[in-house]
Amino acid sequence: MKILIKLLQVAVLYGFYLVGNWLHDILHIPLPGSIIGLLLVWGALSMKVLNLKWIESGAHSLLSVLPIFFIPATVAVMNYGHFFSGKGSLLIPITIVSTFLTMGVASFVSQSVAKRIAKRKAGSECS
Amino acid sequence: MQLITLSLGFILLTIAIYFAMTVLYMKVHLPFLVPIITTTIVIILILVLFNIPYDTYMVGGQWIDKLLGPAVVSLAIPLYKQRELLKRHIYPIITGVLVGCLTGMISGVVLAKSAGFSKELVLSILPKSITTPIAMQIATQIGGVPALSAVFVIIAGISGVLLSQYFLAFFKLDSTLGRGIGLGVATHAIGTSKAIEYGEQEASLSSVAMTLSAIFGSIFGPVIALIFYG
Repeated sequence: MKILIKLLQVAVLYGFYLVGNWLHDILHIPLPGSIIGLLLVWGALSMKVLNLKWIESGAHSLLSVLPIFFIPATVAVMNYGHFFSGKGSLLIPITIVSTFLTMGVASFVSQSVAKRIAKRKAGSECS
Repeated sequence: MQLITLSLGFILLTIAIYFAMTVLYMKVHLPFLVPIITTTIVIILILVLFNIPYDTYMVGGQWIDKLLGPAVVSLAIPLYKQRELLKRHIYPIITGVLVGCLTGMISGVVLAKSAGFSKELVLSILPKSITTPIAMQIATQIGGVPALSAVFVIIAGISGVLLSQYFLAFFKLDSTLGRGIGLGVATHAIGTSKAIEYGEQEASLSSVAMTLSAIFGSIFGPVIALIFYG
């Protein structure tokens, strides 16, 4: 019974994904259907149209094994091996360096803005 | 009938390897043993060893791939449950994601261009920090190769999952906010699956960062392409 409920909830989430795809197609929104679906669910939950209980356990099941859904996409790397031979092999370190630059800058900026806001708040409380 | 057997076979193979690798990861908790990486490697090895083309694997693999959509939709739940946290950190989130997203696109283009790669390749590397479907759309729009962009997206994601723990700790960027935003912006959904390991707060920060980054990327990607190749 529990499994049936979970499957039903996954079906509901799949429905939101399909609606997201449909909106993407007819409105030409430059976001993929899955992200539009995410925003729809989030909006519906915030406006209390959708009850968290109706989808939570199904969503939790999907998220608990999230990495597996990427496997078919990551395995595709095997088809592009030739691009990364010879000079192309440089593209890998370039991607990695740029990735960590991105990560460092994003983390640093968000942490320092948060610190500055916290300081300002503490300052105004003291004065 | 043969097709069904083949599909089921590849689905079961993927699930079995994934769970075996998850058990391994839980026993030996080393960052480079995260299931997404080990499972990918084992499956590629099996396919290469038995001379099975990727398209044949996808006869079954496509069914797993179909669930990626609703799985991404599910990220709305941690997002919703952590709404107070997100509201509290709205400014750090927006500034961190915007600056990080621009850094990702510009640094990739600058590095690849100065290494002398063709315009097509440089523009394919531009959206690499953004989640696959959007990265592919941006690549199409600016004249890159979508399939190659997908490969760069995966390299970015996997390297992030592999090394982020050391990197963020070394530079003291490993607060809840730093982890969540850094992983989401630089390594999109693959990184978010790593953020889930840290907890619900990191997971929701990372999914917000990934989503915002996808929005900023589709707005600023074409602008950056124009600046470098206008």
